[in-house]
Amino acid sequence: MPFPPNGPMVYSCLMFDKSLTKRQLGLLMIIVGTLGFLAIIGIDLIDVGREGGIGPAQRIALGLMMATALLGLTLLPLKNTPA
Amino acid sequence: MTRTATTQTDRAAPSLITLNRILMAAALVILIGLLGVYVVYASNLIQFPFDYDQGEGFELVDTILFSQGQWPYLDTEIYPFYSSNYPPLFHVIAAPFVWLFGPGYAYGRLLGFLGTLVTATAIGYAVYRDGQQRLIAILSGLAFLASNTIYHIGPLFRQHMTMVMFEMLAVLVLAHANELGNPQQRRSRLVLGLVLILAAGYTKQLAYATAIAALAFLFIRNPRRGILYGLGFGLVGAAIFVGINVATNGQWWLQTITANVNTFYPHQTVGLFQLWFGLHGFLIVPAVLYIVYEFYFDRISIYSLWWMVAVANSILSGKWGAGDSYFATAIAATCVLSGLFAARTLNRRWQFPPNYLTRRVIDPLRPLAPALASAALIIIPLLYVGYGRAVLHMPTTGPVFEPLANALNIHPNAQNGFYDSARQQDGSFSGGYADIGHLTTQGDIEAGYAIVDLIKAVDGPVLSEEAGFNLLAGKDVITNPTQLLNLANNSLYDGDALLSMIEDRTFGLIVLRAQFYPVPVLQAIGRNYTQTESIRMNGFEYLMLRPQPPQSMDSDTEDSNGGG
Repeated sequence: MPFPPNGPMVYSCLMFDKSLTKRQLGLLMIIVGTLGFLAIIGIDLIDVGREGGIGPAQRIALGLMMATALLGLTLLPLKNTPA
Repeated sequence: MTRTATTQTDRAAPSLITLNRILMAAALVILIGLLGVYVVYASNLIQFPFDYDQGEGFELVDTILFSQGQWPYLDTEIYPFYSSNYPPLFHVIAAPFVWLFGPGYAYGRLLGFLGTLVTATAIGYAVYRDGQQRLIAILSGLAFLASNTIYHIGPLFRQHMTMVMFEMLAVLVLAHANELGNPQQRRSRLVLGLVLILAAGYTKQLAYATAIAALAFLFIRNPRRGILYGLGFGLVGAAIFVGINVATNGQWWLQTITANVNTFYPHQTVGLFQLWFGLHGFLIVPAVLYIVYEFYFDRISIYSLWWMVAVANSILSGKWGAGDSYFATAIAATCVLSGLFAARTLNRRWQFPPNYLTRRVIDPLRPLAPALASAALIIIPLLYVGYGRAVLHMPTTGPVFEPLANALNIHPNAQNGFYDSARQQDGSFSGGYADIGHLTTQGDIEAGYAIVDLIKAVDGPVLSEEAGFNLLAGKDVITNPTQLLNLANNSLYDGDALLSMIEDRTFGLIVLRAQFYPVPVLQAIGRNYTQTESIRMNGFEYLMLRPQPPQSMDSDTEDSNGGG
């Protein structure tokens, strides 16, 4: 797609200046959910001094992250509908 | 009934319309009745001169300190070992009343109560603005006030409901701000909405959830605007935070953030979620359906995002010291969304653009649409009737309530002849659900003054677990026990100075209720003080402990040394 006259920066700003689509939101939720999930798992891997494994609060947070990613997945087929 | 509703009901059979009106009237009568109970309760509490809910008195102390130009975020190792763990705005709002009326509970409780009325009005307005159904809007606002949780927390001298008020107002202001054509108006609206969220956050920390929802909404609707306003919001919020922290020599960070990391009890969260659904399920189901609709067939509103984040945030209700109040924001969002669901149903404004879900789920149901629309005339008011029964709470004594309770076959299951549907018939309730909601009596007031008289009669300082007695007796308020416990649980409390005073038996009297002091403090009290009497006030036993006589000091010391 050709850039508008003032170049790519203006183009990206213009893109940024309108609502996300359902597909973009879905992608964003998948990224947030996946990264969040890995980060929560990572707490135990990095903080080796901790005992007791994944605690109840962590399990709930993992569930929320999975739900976020799954919800995002169901939004992908909605394509360019404004979110 | 509005024009659009008339259009809808015109299509239905006259008998259905009549039934719809009867059921709507029934729902309105039930929820107005519960509003009446709420007003009676608020009026009763506003006149009660002592702590009703545990810790209210310390909110009053914070307010008094602000009225004197002092921060309540203090070093708990130094006499009077006092600090607050809540942000300042609610107490700052209440502070002028101290100048006018002196220390007292009435104005703080009145502020909390009025805050809930503002929130209910804002809920009603939000539903009416988007749904154009006046009666549903009224029912939505009343449903908020009818919730057992809102009822029993609303008229307390606590900041929680003021936070919810600011949250609701912020969401209301931001909901359509992006669509404003006039840039100046749009900027003003966005700034006002974000200022209201800051106000909520500086009323109580829990409002961070609403900030997340609002910023996510702004980002979805316009990423550039969302990022710019988000940055501005973050900078202003952080500047205030750093300013307070500098002004209090770091006590703000220690007392309101670090000390608030408490143990999480999953079973408490599970119990409170079950209770929340049991009481509000009639509104939660339509609210969830409305969110699903927005996600797959319409634009996603700020209300849907707010509900999702608020419900997720309610998981924290399982923390030590937390409780059903953590659901208050989710309840407000539920009332808005269920109202929008009801209004859209009565207006027949459901639209399903073609997509994979429409093809698989909606299209097969289309032949049923006329029947569903007719059934909705009955189902929608029944949702509010069912909700009214689910959240029923009322006194069962007195000239008005006793005959009503008898007619409804309602039996008391709480203190002072009160029925609360959140409890079992034997009075038991989910862990974390506040043990309040009943009316206070003249006997409670007399018992409170009896405790004040005991404190007045003592020379020297008195350590009381509730601040109100000391304030009325003209004594220093010493410590905020739950805050000491928060600090101790996070290994942030030493307590040498307070322990020395207890070991030296400096306090002429110690008044205990929930015994929320850190364990070493309770152990020191146990070694040096003896319970001489107890006074029952408001359903709770207040234990009076006096210093053990000097002759037993040596033997006690030997006992404690010997026993380790």
